[in-house]
Amino acid sequence: MTAIAGIGIDAGSTTCKAVAVDPSGAVVATALEQALPRIADQTAAMLDGLRSAHDVAPGARCVATGYGRRLVECADRRVTEITCHARGVFDDLGRAGTLVDIGGQDSKVIRIGPDGRPADFVMNDKCAAGTGRFLEYTAGRLGLDVADLGGRVAAPGSEEQITSTCTVFAESEIISLLARGAEVDAILKGLHRSLTVRLVAMVRTVGWEPPLMMSGGVARNAGVRAMIGEALDTEVIVPEHPQLTGAHGAALLALEG
Amino acid sequence: MTVTHRPSRSEAIARAEARGQRIAAVLPYHYPRALLRAHGFHPVEVWGPPGVPRDEGGRHFQAYTCDIVVRATSFLLRGGLERAGVLLVPHTCDALQGMGSVAGDFLQPSQHVLTLYLPRAGRPTDREYLVAELRRLSDRLAGIAGGRPTDAGWADALAAEEAADETLAALYRDREALAVGDREFYEVVRSREYLAAEEFVEAAAAVPRGTAPSGIGLLLSGIVPEPMSLFDHLAEAGARVVADDLAAGARRLYPPSDAADPIERLADRLLGSPPDPTRGTPIAARAAALAGRMAAAGAKGMLIYDVAFCEPELFDVPLLRRHLGDAGYPVAHVEVELGGELGHRVITRIEAFVETLA
Ligand code: SF4
Repeated sequence: MTAIAGIGIDAGSTTCKAVAVDPSGAVVATALEQALPRIADQTAAMLDGLRSAHDVAPGARCVATGYGRRLVECADRRVTEITCHARGVFDDLGRAGTLVDIGGQDSKVIRIGPDGRPADFVMNDKCAAGTGRFLEYTAGRLGLDVADLGGRVAAPGSEEQITSTCTVFAESEIISLLARGAEVDAILKGLHRSLTVRLVAMVRTVGWEPPLMMSGGVARNAGVRAMIGEALDTEVIVPEHPQLTGAHGAALLALEG
Repeated sequence: MTVTHRPSRSEAIARAEARGQRIAAVLPYHYPRALLRAHGFHPVEVWGPPGVPRDEGGRHFQAYTCDIVVRATSFLLRGGLERAGVLLVPHTCDALQGMGSVAGDFLQPSQHVLTLYLPRAGRPTDREYLVAELRRLSDRLAGIAGGRPTDAGWADALAAEEAADETLAALYRDREALAVGDREFYEVVRSREYLAAEEFVEAAAAVPRGTAPSGIGLLLSGIVPEPMSLFDHLAEAGARVVADDLAAGARRLYPPSDAADPIERLADRLLGSPPDPTRGTPIAARAAALAGRMAAAGAKGMLIYDVAFCEPELFDVPLLRRHLGDAGYPVAHVEVELGGELGHRVITRIEAFVETLA
């Protein structure tokens, strides 16, 4: 069994992820859990789980990232999610470009340089609109599971216009559209459009360079991918495990000391 | 290493009163200190203060007015400026001009509310205008104080304030030879906001000499580094402020003047201050000056740290970003409110910016 040489922990606002890598950077183990309020305890338990199931090389290091990175007591170093996502996606896809990461609390667009480091970035962190929370919240109001949204939006059909850029006001719009008899899938399309319009503006602000890549849980949403790709007239590339990109990048940074 | 004891704001006020001076509460940020001193006033600057709630002040302004103006108005209404005989509101921006009008025409506090209209456009008439404006202010102060300064009073005030200004300039010049972190450095720089000139000179002399801590060099721009824990976060991220363009810092490095008339001398010095968005400096000239300062200090990028809704600052940000980007200097921009500690997201932005420069 290959020994763990680096561990990355991404303590996000909705999920907590861990990735362990061997000295060559190959992934040895992963873990993903819903985030609990006691981040220190949760991440310590995740780390214990990885250590008891795998050999750990002497001197193996741990890098913490994400919203709760300061609370990961076992970390040797803390690095922001911007740098970790850039490193992770660069390793996964092997190229520079532009990464859209839609997290639970914020979204970021990172222009990645040829060395896999962020060259520039923009963050939307002032408002839930433009984040994963926007879709979660509005899906909840429609009584839908967030995992089903992408498929419904990607299917052909009409689209309602959502004019509010605010999550709370968008909810009132949904209610009035439903009252007018609008179809749920058409409303969903409108909601996705409203989210992606913001993201596309951020992509343009950062002076994006292709290819366009996506990470974070929302990258699994085919509707968001299709709308962003369509607006920018480009293909959107997603790594195999987009939710683990940050933790993977953190694990690779742990190998660097 | 830390700096030895400096008088606190309230100690400085008490000492000024014991010297027989009256207190002038002064809003940010260009004003003629020596003129106040010559007329028997000790200036104490009001940058908010950050801990005062917006509520009372907020009733008098639009919701998008900056924290400095709104919190300062709250502070005034709560009696926080009771010990001041004068409230001087320079026309730094439209928000402060508004505050001057609201305070003077509407709130009518116990303090005399004085305004100072600063020229903004870099026109040939600026000097003549500012000299007239300073004479008008001098007349008002003389009316309040019950007399005009003597020649000796003017000479004392100019000498003391110019020595303190030179001390401030020397602190910046010698930054690399000061064995203090950014937080300590800016605590000393900012003590000029309330200390008497001589006390400030003493405080600066107490800064230990040696070698400045190392770190990724940043130029810090913006209005005021509040909360001061900003510097702790920067240090934790591995960065160090090697130069600044702060309203509460290097924007007030006034050059000397050889004019014999005290008021003309003050006008020359105010007009000679570094490029500044509140004074209408053309953006290309400001960017060139900042790029030069970054090159000289070894800064790798610029962090613009603004008070939310600060109009003059915000106008310049997109073009400044473009000009400095073209010159090879990345720029990050964050906006903060002055109500408490820095939020997680602002800290993440700052840390991520430092990581991109590493
Ligand atoms: S922060 Fe900006 S808008 Fe507010 S008083 Fe200062 S210069 Fe004016």
